[in-house]
Amino acid sequence: MTGTGSLLKVGNMKKLSVKELYELKKKDLSLSLITHPNTMQGYITTSFLNRPGLALTGYFDRFEYSRIQIFGETEISYLQSLKEEVLYNNIKEALVYDIPAIIITKGLSVPKQIEFLANEMMIPIFSSRLSTDKLFNSLRIYLQSVFAESKTIHGTLIDVFGVGILLTGKSGIGKSECALELVERGQRLITDDVVKITSKDDILVGCATNNYGHFMEVRGIGLIDVAKMFGIQAVRMKKRIDVQIELMPWKDNMDYERIGLSNNSVDILGNKIPIIYLPISPGKNVAVIIEVVAMNHISKLFGYDAAKEYTNKLQEDLKRKAVVRENQIEKKE
Amino acid sequence: MIRKTIKIVNKLGMHARPATMIVKAATKYRSEFKIVKSDMEINGKSIMGVMTLAAEFGSELELVADGVDEEFLIKEITEMFANKFGED
Repeated sequence: MTGTGSLLKVGNMKKLSVKELYELKKKDLSLSLITHPNTMQGYITTSFLNRPGLALTGYFDRFEYSRIQIFGETEISYLQSLKEEVLYNNIKEALVYDIPAIIITKGLSVPKQIEFLANEMMIPIFSSRLSTDKLFNSLRIYLQSVFAESKTIHGTLIDVFGVGILLTGKSGIGKSECALELVERGQRLITDDVVKITSKDDILVGCATNNYGHFMEVRGIGLIDVAKMFGIQAVRMKKRIDVQIELMPWKDNMDYERIGLSNNSVDILGNKIPIIYLPISPGKNVAVIIEVVAMNHISKLFGYDAAKEYTNKLQEDLKRKAVVRENQIEKKE
Repeated sequence: MIRKTIKIVNKLGMHARPATMIVKAATKYRSEFKIVKSDMEINGKSIMGVMTLAAEFGSELELVADGVDEEFLIKEITEMFANKFGED
């Protein structure tokens, strides 16, 4: 598992300190610090990276200085082609900006003036043995996970036939008991009671907030360990969330979905997923219904929508019968 | 018990949306509610039942309500049919 470091949150903006990044990722990204350790003082505030390119020629419009700057072979060979004086001036101008860190790829050697200036201006330079492409990819993936939006909600997350079902509803309505029955039927529990949801590349991923294991509270019994009790096949660490099911007590006058043509959805961290309001009443086997929800979801993904299928057939039937009726009336006349 | 014959006046007939409207309206009442079309008699509070009638434009239905609030039920449902379920 990759740690996300001690992430500071200032207002809505997340920051990752350069020191933290170095400590956590120096092995994965094969990083070594070239400048003085004191230079590592800044914070990274975005998951984007930048190739400075034109900024090195002295063109600073739209220079994304707040991103980590990646120097590849192109940058280094360009800098080496410059006269010493020009190089010195251009770099000095660039380093005036508040750059969190510079990473040189492929273990390329850094012109001495750059190292000197970076130490002066307190901007850390790292050298990585990875190729530019590889470094770009790995660093982006890591930073995206650090800066991904997340929140925790009260609910239970279960993998039902590969469909991530987020069970919500008031305390005591039976989310845990329902999850337990699903587990017994061969489905897999991700976490009970508190789900940490992260939004990444337009998908929602849910996991537990801690790594204590798959514990669950069952009213009247207390805590149980689902993985110990049902085996390792009954649990998993994280899962994409596909559908939310809100369990609610049955009310006579409530407007429940009857056909399934209207698709209700809920917004979680800017991602829309379908939501189903499921009334529960004594004697109802909720676990089976949840399996049906999952299978129906898969079925829709494969392009088959039972509600549409039925209502289309009905509509065709109505049209045909209306025509027959009209013809009969005309004949009589 | 009230019995009332009505005619389907909306062009599309009783497709999914009107069927849902009828069922949702009927379930609010405590009376029993049946719909009869020729030899078919179904429970008017069941969506599958109502759709099974496949009642096309121009066909006739008999509404049968039985219970304490039967009048109100019949009144609301009749109005829905007359208003063509909000369609042309």
